[in-house]
Amino acid sequence: MQATLNITNLSKSFDQGKVKALEDVTFHVNPGDICAVVGESGSGKTTLIRLIAGLEELDSGEIHIENHLVASIKKNVAPEKRDVGMVFQEYALFPHLSVLDNVVYGIKKSKSKKDTALETLDLVGLKGYEKRYPHELSGGQQQRVALARALAPKPSVLILDEPFSNLDAMMRYRLRNEVFNIIKKTGVTAIFVTHDTQDALAVADEILILQNGKLVQKDEASALYKKPQSIYVASLFGNTVQLNKGLQTAFKCPLKEDCCHAIRNESITVNQDCDYVSEAEILKRTFLGTHSQLLLKLDNGEHLTVVTSEPVLGNTIKIGFNSKDVLAFDE
Amino acid sequence: MNLKNRFFKLKRDLNRWSLLLLLILGIVSVPILTIGFKLFGGPGESWNHIVDYVLFDYLKNSFLLALFCSVIVILFGVTTAWLVSRFEFPFRKQLEWLLILPLSVPAYIMAYAYAGVFGYSGLFSKLMEFFGNGDFRIEVMNIYGLSLILSISLFPYVYVSSRTFFLAQATNLLEASRMLGISEFKSFFKLIFPLARPAILAGLVLVLMEVLNDYGAASYYGVSTFTTGIFRSWFSLGEPETAIYLSAILLLIVFGLILFEKWQRRHLNFTAAKTSKQNYNSRIKPKKANQVWFSVICFVPVFLGFVLPVIQLLIWLKQTFASVWTVEFISVTLESFGIAFLTASITVLFALLLLFFTKWNKIELLKSSSKLGVLGYAIPGIIIAIGVLIPSLYLDKWLIEKNITSKLILNATLIALVYAYVVRFLAVAYQPLESSSLKIDRSLSDSSKVLGKGNFKTFFKIEFPLIRVGMLSAFILVFIDILKELPLTLIMKPYDVNTLAVKAFEYASDEMVSSAALPSLLIILTALIPAIFLNKLLLKNASNS
Amino acid sequence: MQKIIYLLLISVFVIGCKSDNKKETENELTVYTHRHYESDQELFKRFEEESGIKLNIVNASADELIQKMNLEGEQSPADVLITVDAGRLYRAKSQGLLQSFSSKLVDSIVPNYLKDEDGQWVGLTKRARVVAYAKDRVDSTQLSTYADLATEKWDNKILVRSSSNIYNQSLLASIIANQGEEFAEEWAQGIVENMARAPKGNDRDQVKAVANNEGDLAIVNTYYIGKLLNSEDSSEVEAGKSVNIFFPNQETTGTHINVSGIGVAKYSPNKEAAIQFIEFLLQEEAQNIFAGSNFEYPVNPNVEPAEILKSWGDFKEDNLSLNKLGEYNKEAVIIFDKAGWK
Repeated sequence: MQATLNITNLSKSFDQGKVKALEDVTFHVNPGDICAVVGESGSGKTTLIRLIAGLEELDSGEIHIENHLVASIKKNVAPEKRDVGMVFQEYALFPHLSVLDNVVYGIKKSKSKKDTALETLDLVGLKGYEKRYPHELSGGQQQRVALARALAPKPSVLILDEPFSNLDAMMRYRLRNEVFNIIKKTGVTAIFVTHDTQDALAVADEILILQNGKLVQKDEASALYKKPQSIYVASLFGNTVQLNKGLQTAFKCPLKEDCCHAIRNESITVNQDCDYVSEAEILKRTFLGTHSQLLLKLDNGEHLTVVTSEPVLGNTIKIGFNSKDVLAFDE
Repeated sequence: MNLKNRFFKLKRDLNRWSLLLLLILGIVSVPILTIGFKLFGGPGESWNHIVDYVLFDYLKNSFLLALFCSVIVILFGVTTAWLVSRFEFPFRKQLEWLLILPLSVPAYIMAYAYAGVFGYSGLFSKLMEFFGNGDFRIEVMNIYGLSLILSISLFPYVYVSSRTFFLAQATNLLEASRMLGISEFKSFFKLIFPLARPAILAGLVLVLMEVLNDYGAASYYGVSTFTTGIFRSWFSLGEPETAIYLSAILLLIVFGLILFEKWQRRHLNFTAAKTSKQNYNSRIKPKKANQVWFSVICFVPVFLGFVLPVIQLLIWLKQTFASVWTVEFISVTLESFGIAFLTASITVLFALLLLFFTKWNKIELLKSSSKLGVLGYAIPGIIIAIGVLIPSLYLDKWLIEKNITSKLILNATLIALVYAYVVRFLAVAYQPLESSSLKIDRSLSDSSKVLGKGNFKTFFKIEFPLIRVGMLSAFILVFIDILKELPLTLIMKPYDVNTLAVKAFEYASDEMVSSAALPSLLIILTALIPAIFLNKLLLKNASNS
Repeated sequence: MQKIIYLLLISVFVIGCKSDNKKETENELTVYTHRHYESDQELFKRFEEESGIKLNIVNASADELIQKMNLEGEQSPADVLITVDAGRLYRAKSQGLLQSFSSKLVDSIVPNYLKDEDGQWVGLTKRARVVAYAKDRVDSTQLSTYADLATEKWDNKILVRSSSNIYNQSLLASIIANQGEEFAEEWAQGIVENMARAPKGNDRDQVKAVANNEGDLAIVNTYYIGKLLNSEDSSEVEAGKSVNIFFPNQETTGTHINVSGIGVAKYSPNKEAAIQFIEFLLQEEAQNIFAGSNFEYPVNPNVEPAEILKSWGDFKEDNLSLNKLGEYNKEAVIIFDKAGWK
């Protein structure tokens, strides 16, 4: 039930090689881990999971599930034989089948099909809904049916494609924790694709960052947050300002290189003592309830946006940050 | 990618579906290839004569015919489809299905009927006499009349395809457009017409193939087109080789049309990919005066394409019924029905296999060439007949030589006839199937596969129930087409099987057009039932999506 | 829905029965025919009753039947081929699809010019291509020959159907045979210049156009006039009554005639029965039916034509061997194309 997933040198292109979707991606997921794949749209995340599920054929590289070679240039195990489960972005529930039939659909053992399905529905909290049809359910309920359907055949790897993108914020937060509690309970190795890093940070053991079809970083959540390897990775996890020459002068923080430092907007403090400080003129305030967003103009004319919960009076303020919060990249 | 990897990939991706796809493609393209092979023999000796004296005429007339028909068909088909799907007016519900009826009248019958109505002491001149203007006449037996007649008998193809589009997808966009302060009429030209283009063109390609293929109406009206030229060079000049050369040119033109249609919708895949989840649209109720106008506008093509020809046929029927009617007509009707039913089922099956084998096959090159399988629709029935007869006779002779059989088992039996029909009408079945399968979200079949079901199980459990409506409309369209089909049937049917179309032809070719009224009306009647059924399906489908 | 299914089952059953009884026996004759008149059905039935031979009828245009025989080759089930013009029989013969047969009865009935020179086919009925002129507008003394129709006198007066029609092709072929290619070309051009409208419709439509005052002269086959006059449609009768028949070339070669004829297929499985069938069709009984219902001239001299035909009077036939019609068919088509006769 728990399996390792091994991807080596995976590449895939479309339109006779004109569009490169994935280039030389290599990584490994430990049994029982939840791995999030994060990237902008077009970064190749969907292609990656479709390749793992067997819905596309790779151009080069290999995919192993629990030491079985499932895809290479010479071999392609059909999706139905890969023992992979998948929850699709828009759930892809079969509209003409009832909830129970949807869940029963993938179960192989003939004897206790119905029992297994009912158990799984119970697990996702949908007891009593088995006779309904998909269009009679709310978005969150459909999501759970989709999860139950994917889990019922007890796959060794579970793939989730943007599982929460169709839900509103409240539902999303609740369901996210529920879903991953269930997944953790079953112990299945899971890969999930998201463009929302909050999801990834909240539930993933490991996060994998894709940019233009290339794997740019793979790390545990906290490590990734604290030490992103590029400004791209850093900006995926919240607004980030690159410390260019102008900002370095304004804050009087001479750094060695020009290009490879940045500071998260949330690390910038207002009216507090810091390692590096600067005066700024407030151009615009936006009230956001517990916070205010300020558009600032620095001495040297650079513009900057900061968010603060401190009450701010007057037209000028003092802003600053500490050297420990400066992000440095290898590039 | 280097050659070795290409080879490995090919070997990996070559599954049994690719082979089966090749097999299906092979089966349906044998006649076409046979004809293609004949091209190597060179044209007949009159080829130069044809190029010098008549080819330009054929090209010009066929082009004009296609042009006029496109304009009229779009005018009738799109306008009526838009009106019935967007507005509420008197008799809308009835008109909605009445507009499909012209499909049930074969074009050649329509041509005879119109010649009768506007000809010597026909309905029209009687009407004019009544108004005291007896000398006023409208000449329909020319290229303009022919365009009109072909258009009104074929516009339902465009009506059906664009109405499906309007019902399924246009509502949200139109509402958005109206919120932006753009009137319904303006939105139609700015928004709906461009968006509906792929749907309209899909219908139009079918219409144009039929127009280019028409023989009966064109020859009666004295318009020399490519197809009449094919018949002429074959039968009057006695040069089948030349006829085959001409058909090859025709085939190239149609192939160009198909490529054009594919090309023009290369960016428009979104229209097919997703249907709006909005419920059935609410229709606008225009002003009273406009409502009447809309009813009238929608009734015009119904009148021209159905009521008028049927009235003429009924007048003829009254004159000839006593002499023409025999009990035999009951069994001929049943036979026509049975053949059409059997063949339509097989054709739909082939179209399904072609569609899904293409989908399951993983080799790109094969995927893109599967459209070749539907070219048969563009080839005149008589040429298809030759393409089928040559290989099947060859096989028959071989079987006899090997003492496996003692007589012809393929030819002059239903096998060869049904085969020829399948080759000819595959396109008609393929089109609605393809569009309805495109409407299914890809992730549905993907998730079935991930859940451990193979292609076959996925098809039966998921895709089949969801494309049932598309399958039925494919079936009905082919059914109607086969009921009307003539040249193929004439040459390939078994001795003791008779169809209504053949009966109608026998009378008409002997210049006893009025006696052809009975079989013609029976064709219309037999085709009517599924046409109405088709409409019910379309409506049900639209309200479900 | 259930009713539909029943209907289907019944129709499939009917077809099943039909294709079942297709066992070839000695006592069967397969007829490939272009003729599909009601009267023929009657004839076939009588033959079956008298001879006990079962007929398999394949009805299609002669061109298609010839193509079919060509493709079928030695396996062709066809015993006889019936066409409605001599040109097609000539073509079948020249493609090696027919065989010679001899019958004293046939020889005694049919004159030589209505037969193939090698005895491969024989005419069954005759039709003449004549001029139907408007009773009220044309002075019949002005009419004389086919050649005369191409003179300026008849500018904008002539109605005739498309040159794709075999009867026009045969007429032109006879002109080529009698007067040479050059003359034929001039003639075709002259006719095209004299046409009252572009060629369209069938022979009946030409007569209707005369009645409708679109032109004065229609070049048509005799039996269509007979059919118009006997039509159930009163307007057709009226159209038929508005014209008179003129037989051209009475002073010269005679009026062009064509035949509906029959030939024995090269690979006929049942040649004896085929000859029996042909003899049956040429004898008085059958010829009377031909003449009576279809307004064709019988080839059997002992049989009288229909009353209407008799009322038009006797006329001099062109005794040109009908083989020539086939021989010059292609030339005729090419001349038509050059002259712009659609």
